[in-house]
Amino acid sequence: MDLLSILSIAMILAALAVFGLRNYKLAVLTYGVQASILVLIFFTLASTHHIVELRSWAFIAILTKVIFVPFILLRLLKKVNIKSEVEPIAGFFVSPIIAIGFSLATAMSIYPIYLKFSLVQEHIPLIAAITVFMMGIFGFILRKSAIKQILAYCTFENGIHLTLALTAYNSPGIVDIGILTDAIFAVIIMSILATRFYKYFGSMDVSKASSLKG
Amino acid sequence: MENLIILVLAIPLISSLVIWFIGVNTKAVNTIHILASIAYSSAALALIYNVVGGERYFAFDENLFIDSLGGVFLSLIAVTGLLINIYSVKYMEWEVKGGHLTDRDLRVFYALSHLFIFTMTLSVLANNMAVMWAAVEATTLSSVFMVAVQKGKRSTESGWKYIVICSIGLAFALYATILLYGAGFSVIKDGHDAMLWTHLKENAKLINPDALKLIFVFALVGFGTKAGLAPTHTWLPDVHSEGPSPASAMLSAVLLKCAMLAIVRYYSIVGNSTVGFEFVQNLMVIVSLITIFIAALFIIKQHDIKRMFAYHSVEHIGIIAFGFGIGGPLGVFAGLFHSLTHSITKALAFCVSGNIIKIYGTRDMTKMGGLVKIAPVTAVLFGIAICSLVGIPLFAIFVSEFMAVKAAIFGGDYTAVVLFIIGLAIIFVGVFSHFNEVMFGEAKSKVDKAEIELSANIPLIILAAMIIVLGIFSIDSITTLFGNASKIVLSS
Repeated sequence: MDLLSILSIAMILAALAVFGLRNYKLAVLTYGVQASILVLIFFTLASTHHIVELRSWAFIAILTKVIFVPFILLRLLKKVNIKSEVEPIAGFFVSPIIAIGFSLATAMSIYPIYLKFSLVQEHIPLIAAITVFMMGIFGFILRKSAIKQILAYCTFENGIHLTLALTAYNSPGIVDIGILTDAIFAVIIMSILATRFYKYFGSMDVSKASSLKG
Repeated sequence: MENLIILVLAIPLISSLVIWFIGVNTKAVNTIHILASIAYSSAALALIYNVVGGERYFAFDENLFIDSLGGVFLSLIAVTGLLINIYSVKYMEWEVKGGHLTDRDLRVFYALSHLFIFTMTLSVLANNMAVMWAAVEATTLSSVFMVAVQKGKRSTESGWKYIVICSIGLAFALYATILLYGAGFSVIKDGHDAMLWTHLKENAKLINPDALKLIFVFALVGFGTKAGLAPTHTWLPDVHSEGPSPASAMLSAVLLKCAMLAIVRYYSIVGNSTVGFEFVQNLMVIVSLITIFIAALFIIKQHDIKRMFAYHSVEHIGIIAFGFGIGGPLGVFAGLFHSLTHSITKALAFCVSGNIIKIYGTRDMTKMGGLVKIAPVTAVLFGIAICSLVGIPLFAIFVSEFMAVKAAIFGGDYTAVVLFIIGLAIIFVGVFSHFNEVMFGEAKSKVDKAEIELSANIPLIILAAMIIVLGIFSIDSITTLFGNASKIVLSS
């Protein structure tokens, strides 16, 4: 198995760990690992497929995803001072299984379509890109914790970033910058709202917010 | 023309920064807010005037452009947005006087509302689909604190739901963007051109049809979430009901349509490819009918006036989608025209709900009553908004709904049209029971405020006049603009 495939599988496992870990600090640090693997994938692709653009993508990703986003989230954790997650929908054990199962199934069923036009014709990385994206989506649906939902956002953003690198690395630079800028602002705003949420609800459990129904 | 495109983007962006940094002098903030809104609308209308006849202009190396289709949606921001902004001055003054907001909140609200207009304008003028996506995502980011400007449990909850649900939805939209670029590049072979709507559409027939089908599903889920299409509409009632009335009006009357324009751009590319219009139309019809029925069920049981109007937004986005689902020149025209008629009607509805909440001090319609005696002008404006919303003849929305029904009958989509009419009939009955509750009888809560001052009502009176004019007359320039926009959607 080549390095690219190993890194891709590692990224899926890191996404699963971010999803499954109960301890918030550990989950945020694992997210940092996931982002680092993404950076390594960019560097690997840059050298094996001679894609110069991905080197600069990698450096921007180090600044934004490996350093900035974990910094914001660790600061949020320090501010609200809570350590571990509330019981998610379908439980701690079952929800990661549901997420990874459905994510892999979705990835396996739609990646052949991606292969028809993808610039990088590599099966496992494409499957990983879709799986990580779907893991993020399931993270949103199955986890009740506001912090875990922010991490889910960051996870599917990584999946999208990997897809962009594989299928459209030659897209104009403005695309990468635009997407990352939005993502960073989204994380900042979500962190502010999460802090406010904790202040008013005394918890990070978003299912407690149920005054707006019907 | 390039300068005008730049100006339309620069005015709201600069005004936002100026308001943000000038301090808390409320009078100055109000003046800049109004002057900037008028300047923006004048520039935008000048731009629209140039594309009525089907012309097309580019800027920034073709990354931005204006065509008749963009012109239709820009007109919503220019006209409806201006009137809402004028109304917001009085409304926000009440909020500050009532102690619900501080002068600092007011400054933040206005700065964000101009930033919000900038992001919506950018989404409408984007020829680069990634810029469009980024702009639509930025509309969420810029408006989330307009909605959650009042601090408290309910506004925090609505703000959280807004950003979380829309971000999930827009993740799918981003996926659609990347996939369309990838699929387009394999044909166009130019990184810059493969990102542009205009080039993608010219080459639509060469793009892989399986990829296009997947892309449209992703785009419909993604931008459909932001537009308020079921089943991912759940953020909308919370957000539209919790924000200040002008924010609700801006979100419902303009923002939802910007997301709809994104869907229409994908609809046009996939429809004009070898996939054909049948695929996109079928999906749109199914989604639209589900949306209308879900909205109908919730409208009936609603007692909160703003939540009722919020579910109306869901319903009417369903009606717009139904127009595109029926398709053809008449169906697409109906969908586009409904975007305009609903925009002005909903702006009036939300702003008038601001008046009503001020009068009764509650949003609960069961505690209202006798509005026609307490505040006759507000009552008439409320009546016009309701009559248009449920599609009574001589009011604007009737015209676009009638066109959609006509298009469906001419196209032989009898099942769809029957379901569509049943959905609207349920809403009609539900709304009129609420209408009677508010308008007639005796007030069920202590009312110590009478009619709203005329200066607050002027923009609402203009909106009401527009609803009636569009309901009775056919205005040539509008018909030409919308006709050319429909041609852009349908022609390859």
